Amino acid sequence: MIDRYAWAGGTEAWVRHGKAGQPLVIAALPPFEEANRTRALMMRVLMQLTVHGISVTLPDLPGTGESLVATEDARLADWQAAYAAAVEEARRDHPEIHSIAIRAGALIDVQADVASRWHLSPQDGASLRRELGRIAKAAALEDGGSVEWPSASTVVEVAGNRLSNDLLAELLTGYPPLPAPLRVIRLTEDAAPADRYINGAPLWRRAEPDQNLDLADALADDIADWIARCAK
Amino acid sequence: MVPEGVDQVETAVRAVLRDALGISAERVAAFDATTPLFGSLPELDSMAVAGLLTELEDRLGILIEDDDIDGETLESFGALVRFASDKALR
Repeated sequence: MIDRYAWAGGTEAWVRHGKAGQPLVIAALPPFEEANRTRALMMRVLMQLTVHGISVTLPDLPGTGESLVATEDARLADWQAAYAAAVEEARRDHPEIHSIAIRAGALIDVQADVASRWHLSPQDGASLRRELGRIAKAAALEDGGSVEWPSASTVVEVAGNRLSNDLLAELLTGYPPLPAPLRVIRLTEDAAPADRYINGAPLWRRAEPDQNLDLADALADDIADWIARCAK
Repeated sequence: MVPEGVDQVETAVRAVLRDALGISAERVAAFDATTPLFGSLPELDSMAVAGLLTELEDRLGILIEDDDIDGETLESFGALVRFASDKALR
């Protein structure tokens, strides 16, 4: 079911499945291009969670998805505030709410008041910003031009997306460590620390959106176990 | 897994080419030090380079500054493994 939730800056759409009274998983995709590459994986994970008796929601955030906010007006602080507001609105129907995020989606649930967090291959803001810089330069190079990076202008074009320089600056903001309970999952070949490593290819790298049902189902099982353990 | 030797770095670079570019494991396994990359692999356009570098950072636990990259870094498979080894094993 698609309807809308309210936050301080307006309303945004959210997809919701499940029943009132069940625990709820709210999900954050990584921003920008990686959202397209991981959406199919995330939707499969969410659908599998409903089989485990867990309700799910995937909110659009201001300046992403179907949002009427222009991409260049998107701010990380607004994403965090909108996500936290979605959690509060969902709490009317769901006493227990857990957040899951893929990649830099892990930057989005920092303000949310949730029972636990589960992050797949979390990417920090500095790494995302470095990658956006590379993409901007590469795209400019392919067009035979060049790009100023870091840029002094208000809006920076990154491969067709017009991004606010304020947003790029927000990515360098440091955060205190997230409170427990937090579970971090990474793919087997990742060097960074994690609570568990799972086999699978990083779909967020593929130029063409791809799906991996085995990976999605393994992730959904892990989340369902995690939530059951958090409830004890 | 933080690599401890050139062999492990080479294995990681092969895996990144496979996973980030979607090149089949068989094709990647046939790469040797002289296999040309940038300009020769159709999958490796300049946009793909951005993802490749970030994935190398993740897999090898390294930080790549854009100034580190020059025309030769991605010239051949051997050059890329040398670059990644210099970063990961120092």
